[in-house]
Amino acid sequence: MSTKATPAVLLDKCSKWYGQVIGINDISLAIDGGVTGILGPNGAGKSTLFKLLMGRLKPSSGNVRLFGVDPWVSTSPYRRVGYVSETEKLYDWMTGHDFVSTLARLHGMTREEASDRASHVLDFVGLGDVQNKEIGKYSKGMRQRVKIAHALVHDPDLIILDEPLHGCDPIARTSIMSVIRDLGSQGKTVLVSSHILDEIERITEQIVILHNGRLLALGNLHAIRDLLDKHPHRILIRTENPRKLAEYFVPEDPVYGVRFSQDGALEVLTNDLSAAHDVLPRVIVESGLKVTSIENPDDNLEALLAYLVGGAS
Amino acid sequence: MDRQGRGLAETVWTRLDRKAGAITELTIRQLRHRLSTWVVLAVGFLLLISLLAMFVAGVRGGWEPIDNDGDSHDWDEDGYPEGQEFKYGSDPYDGFSFPGSGEFVEEGSFEWGSVGLYSGNHTWRLATGIFTYTWLEDSQIGGDGILKVDSLEPCPEGVSLFENYWPDWGDGCRMEENRIVVHEASFVGNGTFRVEEGYMAQWGYVAESFYVEPEPASNYIDEDDIDWTGDPNQINGFDDDGDCLRIGWPEEPPPDFWWGWESRHEPDANGNGVDCDVEWLTDSDGNIVAINPDDNVDEDPSEESLAYEDAHRAFIIGTGKIAFVMILGIFLPLFLALGLVRDETENGTLHYLLSKPIHRGEFITYRILGYLIVAGGFVLIMSLLMGLVTASLGPGDSIFRLKDVIVWLGIAFATILALAAYGAIFNTLGLLSSRYGVYIALVIGVYEFVMAVLTLGGAELIPVLSVSHWTLQLIDSIVLIVWPNTIEMHLIATAFDLPSGIRAFWNPPVHTLGTESPFISGLISVIVLVLITSLMILFGQRQFKRREIM
Repeated sequence: MSTKATPAVLLDKCSKWYGQVIGINDISLAIDGGVTGILGPNGAGKSTLFKLLMGRLKPSSGNVRLFGVDPWVSTSPYRRVGYVSETEKLYDWMTGHDFVSTLARLHGMTREEASDRASHVLDFVGLGDVQNKEIGKYSKGMRQRVKIAHALVHDPDLIILDEPLHGCDPIARTSIMSVIRDLGSQGKTVLVSSHILDEIERITEQIVILHNGRLLALGNLHAIRDLLDKHPHRILIRTENPRKLAEYFVPEDPVYGVRFSQDGALEVLTNDLSAAHDVLPRVIVESGLKVTSIENPDDNLEALLAYLVGGAS
Repeated sequence: MDRQGRGLAETVWTRLDRKAGAITELTIRQLRHRLSTWVVLAVGFLLLISLLAMFVAGVRGGWEPIDNDGDSHDWDEDGYPEGQEFKYGSDPYDGFSFPGSGEFVEEGSFEWGSVGLYSGNHTWRLATGIFTYTWLEDSQIGGDGILKVDSLEPCPEGVSLFENYWPDWGDGCRMEENRIVVHEASFVGNGTFRVEEGYMAQWGYVAESFYVEPEPASNYIDEDDIDWTGDPNQINGFDDDGDCLRIGWPEEPPPDFWWGWESRHEPDANGNGVDCDVEWLTDSDGNIVAINPDDNVDEDPSEESLAYEDAHRAFIIGTGKIAFVMILGIFLPLFLALGLVRDETENGTLHYLLSKPIHRGEFITYRILGYLIVAGGFVLIMSLLMGLVTASLGPGDSIFRLKDVIVWLGIAFATILALAAYGAIFNTLGLLSSRYGVYIALVIGVYEFVMAVLTLGGAELIPVLSVSHWTLQLIDSIVLIVWPNTIEMHLIATAFDLPSGIRAFWNPPVHTLGTESPFISGLISVIVLVLITSLMILFGQRQFKRREIM
């Protein structure tokens, strides 16, 4: 079986309804190689998509193929797939090593192979030193990472992660992101879902955007962002003297205006967000003013979706 | 070691799929980490230990000889046990009739409804009225209808005799120093009797009396042993205590033998032309297939030969059927099997297991296997413990009754088959409906218990549609295979109407396809139980395969 002929993930006019409610609607998609971010707000159909891929759900219409095989009918593609579900329950009485090696044996490994592989992947996700502690004593981030470890234990070609950063602290987030990037650079096909644009942006450029069960956009995040950047954007800057800082921004090229918000922050208005960010550090240094925070209130998934949906209509 | 020289563990484990090992082991460890598992196992342990304590106390208390036919008792309190009265032809329920008492000869009577007075020195019988006397015999004997003269109470004041006050039947009360009131009582005295209107009285004398030494009651305990020559063509059975033969009995029953002797006693009840014998029927292999005794023959055997062994086996069979199959067999699966797959689905932990290359059907099978190792291991250990105790303390000459242990292992085997069947049924119910499954399982548990009780009672047809019926029949078959003479003990206990635990707890296997072979009935039971288990697992697998898991 050649991976060229059969992509890791293939959906063909696939729809899933739960009674009257639409899970995903007429999605066609092929993904093979690299890290792909599945972006969408809660309820967009990300988990439904993954559950269709993992054979938990049967498509209402259309076809789903994992490495060319229908996962509802056969479990054989799971040999090459690692799946991190959104479920938060774990066997709290088991140690991390126990958990991963027990599940490794479900791939047909012997006890010894499973134990070695479990230690290896737990090291890889950064849990090497706590692998003999009970999972019940793990922090939220450690729990997420032990779930990732179990999905990697058999060295899969395709890894599906459903909201792996959900609820993690910044340190855990960073370490999980680096694990995912590593996997991508190893040539694996990785699908990561999230409802936070910023998270996905730090992991990958290749994205799929789902909205209300529909495939809204697909491709390079930068290309999509560039489109977004050409539209009016705000940069929110909190400083001790907003009026003085505004004077320094007004002459700059990408900036077409400034406003003062009610809580005293400076709003810099631009049509080219990245250009504005390029000049931003220099302007602040020149002003000599103390800046406490910089925010991009329009640079999130909701803004992106609003733009994409608006553009489509 | 097998023929290739591999160790047992290796051959077993290499055959079992590694995935099977992992899921089975996970299931066992999960059950071990649940409090409810330990609670239900502890309750089962306490139940069996208390039964064992009762058994040990019974053995330490020793055995009392049992009067199986009840003829050591002196029912009419005339000083003679029933067995001795049978020999002499006296009425065991009439205190006036006893060995050597002679016959009551009636001289006259007040008939029903007559009124009047009669005077003289007489034996008075069944008399109701007032007796004014000059002499009254202080009777040494008592019993039904015999007036206890020395213990007569004064009559109550202010009552109207025979209108709103009656002495007890066969008793009386004292009105004055030489006047008594009696109610259908019998006594001897000289005086004038006035019969109460609407009642009767007889008077007369007792003829041809002589003295017979009363025998002790112990002479009539274990006095009629089973006499079986081993050859059905010979005359078998002998009426050791003479209560069937009744040599020397009068040709006619005594006139007042009011319960009639013929109705009680049939010297050739089995109709083989020989009085007071036992007909033993054997098949061509010499196995006893039927026993037809005459009345009162071989009916009070010594407990040494039969009852101790009967009681011992009955304890094992009864405990095996009721405590193991009917209680552990139904309750362990209710607590341990119902949530095998259901709980994983509800927790969401199923996603970890199902994202591995394992078929959902396999998954169910290995989960049940894991549960079966926990529940079955417990049953096996407990049965061995029971076997160790009963084999060491049981009756007989051998120091250790090895066959006890084999029967206990058979009980464990049958119980494990029941655990598998109930486990598969309950697990499937948990899958079908996570909310109502437990209620349906409870209904099934009660149904199975009722079917088991019917099976214990000997029902053959109705309980066929139950797991417990086949499990109990498997135990019956195993018992008969290990102890082939259980069927004879059952026949003997039934034929001679002996108190028997085997009769209560054991039935000859019925589903033998006409062969009457316990091997056939055992095999059929195993096949049925395995079939039920497999079908329920298959049904559960079908349900689970089609299910979408959120």
